[in-house]
Amino acid sequence: MEAFLSFSQNTGIHAFMHSAWGWPFVESLHFVGLSLLIGTVGVFDLRMIGLARGIPMNALHRLVPWGVAGYGLNVLTGFMFVSSVPDQYLFNPAFQTKLALMGIAGINVLLFYRFAFRPVKAAGADAVAPRTARIMAAVSLTCWTGVIVCGRLITYFRPPYHWCFWC
Amino acid sequence: MEYFAWVEATSFSTWMRESGPAFFSSLILHSVAMGFVVGVHVATDLRILGVASRIPLSLMKRFFPVLWVSLVAVALSGVLLLAAYPAKALTNPLFYFKLAAVLAALCITQSLTHQLLEDAGYDDRLAPGKARFLAALSLLLWAAAITSGRLLAYTHSVMMASHVV
Repeated sequence: MEAFLSFSQNTGIHAFMHSAWGWPFVESLHFVGLSLLIGTVGVFDLRMIGLARGIPMNALHRLVPWGVAGYGLNVLTGFMFVSSVPDQYLFNPAFQTKLALMGIAGINVLLFYRFAFRPVKAAGADAVAPRTARIMAAVSLTCWTGVIVCGRLITYFRPPYHWCFWC
Repeated sequence: MEYFAWVEATSFSTWMRESGPAFFSSLILHSVAMGFVVGVHVATDLRILGVASRIPLSLMKRFFPVLWVSLVAVALSGVLLLAAYPAKALTNPLFYFKLAAVLAALCITQSLTHQLLEDAGYDDRLAPGKARFLAALSLLLWAAAITSGRLLAYTHSVMMASHVV
């Protein structure tokens, strides 16, 4: 925690985040990044589940780099929040759950590209994705929605009054 | 201001403010549904701008039910949040800017739907310059709506009308 804080202070992130418009500005970027992720990865997931048949999944997948950019933006802006006030996050059950969901989503992405992407890429325009890919799409949508929910709940649990669910 | 104070005094408004689950579920619904409203726009606008050009443009309409359902959820949760703190948003000029940005973006959506999405001729053709301009403007307006929405938490001059009158 000290390491986070001193990094933030040494790099000027801390000062920027505590300036008049630093925090709200970075928050806005965090919401923009979220929309990029839902708009590309989320939309691709919806298609795999069976919505908007007729759009080739392969073609829709071309949007995903924009989602990766949104994800990158949110890792960066997220790091700016956490490193500036680490005690508000690291002991916060909402933040811990958020990280866990991001972890599951991350593993899900790796498994998807390793085991399920090839048939999805080759599928016809009207096809539904194979079962494995559909399950992974549902996991992805659930995780990312859960990540937004937990992100919003961070301000609901303010340490030290709520350390964690299991304490 | 008296009217806001009256709303704040209703038991529903009080409950929205004082019940954590009521307030936070509205806030969460507003954020998640916003993600899907703006998300479907991101996908459609990027496609109009030429990204993922092998997507048949007219079929992007098939994602619109997600957009409309989410928009209803955004509006509903927005009204609930307004019920909790009516004066906080309604006395802030930025709130009207946010509403204007959302309405303008939705007008662009309507216009692009009529001009472009209902014509399968654009499925494998680059959209005209004017449409691409509108798609870029749409993305900009959504970013402006998000930013002004976020700033509402920081720029209000009145939290509760009953504390002023």
